[in-house]
Amino acid sequence: MKVRIKEWNAVSIWHWNVSEDEVCGICRVHFDGTCPSCKYPGDDCPIIIGKCNHSFHMHCLLKWLELETSRGLCPMCRQPFQTLGEDEVITT
Amino acid sequence: MSKVRRIVKELEEVKTDLASGITLNLINETDISHLKGTFQGPPGTPYEGGLFTIDIKIPNEYPFKPPVMKFDTRIFHPNISSQTGAICLDILKDAWSPILTLKSSLLSLQSLLQSPEPNDPQDAEVAKVYISDRDVFFSEAAKWTKLYAIKNEQPTDLVKLYNLDSAAVQSIVNMGFDQDKVAETMHTLGMSTISGTGGADENRLIERLLG
Repeated sequence: MKVRIKEWNAVSIWHWNVSEDEVCGICRVHFDGTCPSCKYPGDDCPIIIGKCNHSFHMHCLLKWLELETSRGLCPMCRQPFQTLGEDEVITT
Repeated sequence: MSKVRRIVKELEEVKTDLASGITLNLINETDISHLKGTFQGPPGTPYEGGLFTIDIKIPNEYPFKPPVMKFDTRIFHPNISSQTGAICLDILKDAWSPILTLKSSLLSLQSLLQSPEPNDPQDAEVAKVYISDRDVFFSEAAKWTKLYAIKNEQPTDLVKLYNLDSAAVQSIVNMGFDQDKVAETMHTLGMSTISGTGGADENRLIERLLG
């Protein structure tokens, strides 16, 4: 029997490379969702991962770091929040 | 708005968690910024058996700014004002972090009851007692718990508790005042009875009750 494909629709899913049930500690929304001020998840509302290995929606974290009261500290461990350099990789 | 979404989530989370013994409720369904929370006094402390109510106001910048909390239930504790219920706790001030929640804040208050910090007092008088005589502190704190934080089946008889002349109290109640309010006011004014009808005592008391 020969089958001829007339039409096909490709569907794909994606999610950030973090454990699936993890939420952003600041807004409590899943990482695969958006921060409260964005509409569409993905590259427009990325995740930021610190050297301390704690992650947040980037927009949530920036809002926090903008405040003087944050003193530039990670909300989770209160170490100065620093992002990883280009060539650094997190080892878990 | 981030604030509304987060509070709704927090409310749901507290409702499903029955183990913590913490409750969190909106006062008015239309106002997400004003809540009341409750927790139990920790065992092994003079607050044991009490249920403490916390008034919670949420600023617009929440969770980037801390919630404003104060005790509705009167309490005898070095870090809580015995007059206003204002709380001295670092995480509710400059040590706040947006990962903290209303529930974790209430749990921190519960542990504050377990470990007072007399060197950073909110109520200097209470802290003085705590530092100088632990037994007196303990019995006073337990008395306040019994008075204000424990809901008895039978309401506390303030007339008996304050050792007041019940006939005198009754004579004022007959004028249409609430009995507990009369007893409380007489105790504040340092009266145990009222000498004569229409005298200075009675006038002072009624003035205070109306004021």
